[in-house]
Amino acid sequence: MKARKTEAWTAVLFASPWIIGFSVFLLYPLLASIYYSFCDYSVLRSPVWIGLANYRDLIKDEVFWKTLWNTGLYAMMALPLGVLVAFALALMLNAKIRGLTIYRTIFFLPSLVPQVALSVLWLWIFNGEYGILNNALGFLHFGGIPIMGHHFLAFQFHGPNWLGDPSWSKPALVLLSAWGVGNAMVIYLAGLQDVPQSLYEAADLDGAGWWAKTRNITIPMLSPVILFNLIMGIIGTLQVFAVPYVMSPSGSPARSIYFYTMYIFDNAFMYQKMGYACAMGWIMFVIILLLTLGAIKLSDRHVHYENS
Amino acid sequence: MPGGKSKGTSQRNAWVLHIALVALSFLFLFPLLWMISTALKVEAETMRQPPTWIPTDFQWVNFAKAFTYGRAELGYIPFLIYGRNTLILCALTVAGAVLSNAIVAYAFARMRWPGRDLFFAITLATMMVPFPVTMVPVYGLFRSLGWIGTFRPLWVPAWFGSAFSIFLLRQFFRTLPFELSEAARIDGCSEWQIFRQIILPLSKPALAVVALFTFMGTWNDFLQPLIYLQYQHTFTLSVGLQAFQTQHGGTQWSMLMAAATMVVAPVIAIFFFAQKQFIQGIAVTGLKG
Amino acid sequence: MRFKDLTLPLVFIVCIVVAWYSELLTRPPKPDGPVHVSYWEKWTGFEGSAMRAVVDAFNASQADVHVDLLTVSNIERKTLFAISGGNPPDIAGLFGPNLAEYVDDNALRPLDSYCRQYSIQRSQYVPIFYDIGTYDGHVYSLPSTPACTALHYNKQMFRAAGLNAEHPPQTIEELDEAAAKITTRKPDGSIDHAGFLPADPGWWAWSWGYLFGGRLWDGKSRITANSPENVRAFAWIQSYSDRYGSKELSKFESGLGQFSSPQNPFLSNKVAMELQGVWMYNFIHQYSPQLEKPVLNWAAVPFPHPANRPDLANLTIADEDILVIPRGAQHPDAAFKFIAFVQSQKGMEMLCMGQKKESPLLSVTPAFYKQHPNPFIHLFADMPKSKNVISAPKIGIWPEYQDELKNAYDLIERKERTAQQALDYVQARMQPKWDQYLERLKSRRETARAEGALAKNHALSGAGQ
Repeated sequence: MKARKTEAWTAVLFASPWIIGFSVFLLYPLLASIYYSFCDYSVLRSPVWIGLANYRDLIKDEVFWKTLWNTGLYAMMALPLGVLVAFALALMLNAKIRGLTIYRTIFFLPSLVPQVALSVLWLWIFNGEYGILNNALGFLHFGGIPIMGHHFLAFQFHGPNWLGDPSWSKPALVLLSAWGVGNAMVIYLAGLQDVPQSLYEAADLDGAGWWAKTRNITIPMLSPVILFNLIMGIIGTLQVFAVPYVMSPSGSPARSIYFYTMYIFDNAFMYQKMGYACAMGWIMFVIILLLTLGAIKLSDRHVHYENS
Repeated sequence: MPGGKSKGTSQRNAWVLHIALVALSFLFLFPLLWMISTALKVEAETMRQPPTWIPTDFQWVNFAKAFTYGRAELGYIPFLIYGRNTLILCALTVAGAVLSNAIVAYAFARMRWPGRDLFFAITLATMMVPFPVTMVPVYGLFRSLGWIGTFRPLWVPAWFGSAFSIFLLRQFFRTLPFELSEAARIDGCSEWQIFRQIILPLSKPALAVVALFTFMGTWNDFLQPLIYLQYQHTFTLSVGLQAFQTQHGGTQWSMLMAAATMVVAPVIAIFFFAQKQFIQGIAVTGLKG
Repeated sequence: MRFKDLTLPLVFIVCIVVAWYSELLTRPPKPDGPVHVSYWEKWTGFEGSAMRAVVDAFNASQADVHVDLLTVSNIERKTLFAISGGNPPDIAGLFGPNLAEYVDDNALRPLDSYCRQYSIQRSQYVPIFYDIGTYDGHVYSLPSTPACTALHYNKQMFRAAGLNAEHPPQTIEELDEAAAKITTRKPDGSIDHAGFLPADPGWWAWSWGYLFGGRLWDGKSRITANSPENVRAFAWIQSYSDRYGSKELSKFESGLGQFSSPQNPFLSNKVAMELQGVWMYNFIHQYSPQLEKPVLNWAAVPFPHPANRPDLANLTIADEDILVIPRGAQHPDAAFKFIAFVQSQKGMEMLCMGQKKESPLLSVTPAFYKQHPNPFIHLFADMPKSKNVISAPKIGIWPEYQDELKNAYDLIERKERTAQQALDYVQARMQPKWDQYLERLKSRRETARAEGALAKNHALSGAGQ
């Protein structure tokens, strides 16, 4: 009994950095931000209780809805794309071929580049007139079949004015996000190395093809990893900030890339409305929580755990 | 075709795979190659239409210039200083994260104490707290401590654990045989000695993962340094890079890209050499929940 | 003891050393001798060098105060953070339009008593440049450098279009006519040269209404974003999207080069007329030799006014960089000594010559004009004295208001909304925000007043009353 007690105290001592860190950097700010979300508050003023006013204003705030919509739309495009690209890359890199080290590094590269540097680079690559992307797309043309002075089926691909056109700016950012799948890819890769070879050998004996093996062995075995990446993806994409902020702090054109976190940032630090920003932060927390719980619930039927 | 594949098919498959991978590699390298190509151009060439991939005149001197950019004007040498600041922060956060998370994860994984599992569940749930929620109160906290404008807000929290790393290490520690600890206890080892002399040496791959994730997090962090750092000479690379862009109303693209290339190069090198350990580390930590 | 056991203590020692080193790095230097005044300024480049020269001159002129100049990006936010963090610079070089929100948040020290002490008076200044620094009857800032705008036009392009380059447009209608003649298109219909481009440089999206006699608020409680004059102005902007075609326009704009580069559309003969400030000369001189040689091929004239509003002739947007002393500054007295040096004719002319702008002071030495390289410096010196000089409204919600106007501008330029719709939207958004802002400001002030006479007396003595 006494040994138990000593162990418990030692354990608490061991865990104490996190107990402190958790209380100071998470619990306290969480509680404080709940309080601030009911206050008129800015860096230079002490909080003044205003009840539900911030939340009431938010419901009426069209820009709030706009950023929520933008963020949701972005996540709906970027999440599946990210999962798909990362998974596909991991599958390819799991093969036993030469030069794997180099390939892995290459696909991981964009995740190593500071997002700010990357954004500046993309800003330029996506430029409608001078951008290297449209320049490359411009090669996609076809002179057509000349019949009686007309050129039939002729086309010249005109790349859109990506970041200058509200209907293309979000897709541009989504496309760009696919370059940052390195982290997820590495986690898939690690998961793949854990799948017992014997399963594939057994499938080989049954004459299963590549797709059958992927569908019946790899995906089920990896489902917990997929879930993990999905949850991390939800958290990450809903907080998208650095790239669009560097590209266009005001989210122009026409607020098409004005995202939720950018609006929080503006309210907190540009418009001196920290209370409002806290209310927004809390709404985001609830959304992420619900989505994560939803993902876990939905996955209950599909995720396969080895031990259960 | 029952009974496995012939050697010919598998070799053919390998070729197909290689071709696909090389094509994809170009796609992933494309922004980086463009960055390096721009870094080597004369400023006038960076805007040339149509764009050139290979600079007509290689400006290696751009790299040297990026180091001293701005010196003539206001007597500061931002780039080297930004690099130094970032490295300092990386060193402090990596050391803090590895040490604190390891010891906390050990308590969660291999010791018994009341409320452990509940606290662990809460810890996992905190991964879902978006930074913007805590951003404002944490700023207020550091302000009342008088830490604004210092490096402290950027590295001290790393010494108090992070949910993700604790989770990662706990999963790993649990895979190590418990008999090891029992045997040591019978030999009269204290919990600290078990942790230090048995568990830690066996956990290098997992610690490497935590180290690398922390390093990358600090290296790439933009929002926090933007909020907490005030003086030019305390900026980190990612904040400094943005300043490069906005300082003159116009951007010196070749300078900016030269700077960015130098920011990126060391990280690429580290990953290239550490990746095998890194991937294995993640594999053995079993991020499978 | 095995060697291995030393790793952990070693790691700790190294960390402590590094952390200690990092502390040294962030600590501002505090040598003995003169009072060290920290001064944050936004400028880099030649504007920064000009400021540095003035600081050096000040430091050399006396031995009591030493100003340490530091370049800070995003200065208007960083200063606010620093004030809230309790460690502000002694002097901050902000932008004029920042003043209202700063003062409303009680972030600045009033300068009235210092001004009296150093005999700095409104009568010494071109009025607008003094007035930008006042708020609620107090002086909170004094100018570092002023600027004002005018129509810049390219004579070569005028002549090429068969226009008389010595007769620039005087009314908006004439401007439209000239712009139509100058604009040329490529065979595929895309714009090759544009006569006039409202969106370039796009820094004063808020100001167009003023050109037509509009105002953004009534100075008190009412926002007037959708007044008929403002709607007329935005409709006029939109007429350029009609003329050029909004798709073609946005394509043309995305192809324009960076402002500070030879590819700048005005500097590269792509756009013939622009609303620009006194600084444009610097860029012309640096990047665009064809506009200066063999003969002067550009000119600056007052921006045209609507034909039916001759009373709006000579309208110009005045803006200035301001020097403030944040609340909580360590050395306000020493700080003001430097600010006063900048306000002296010698200091001011040195600074304005260095940044190649006009002087905000009424009394200017003949040598200043003689040496000034900008061929139109007299115009820029006279325009701010016009009765139609305007400056950004001193309204506490300006950052948000300005973002909203930018968005409205975006929408009408792309023809997603009519001018009326876009500005009605701005009005509907900003009026409640302004009401709420005023209401909360009032209740804060009441609370502050109620919080004891002692604190109040203290604050007032600081206000120099």
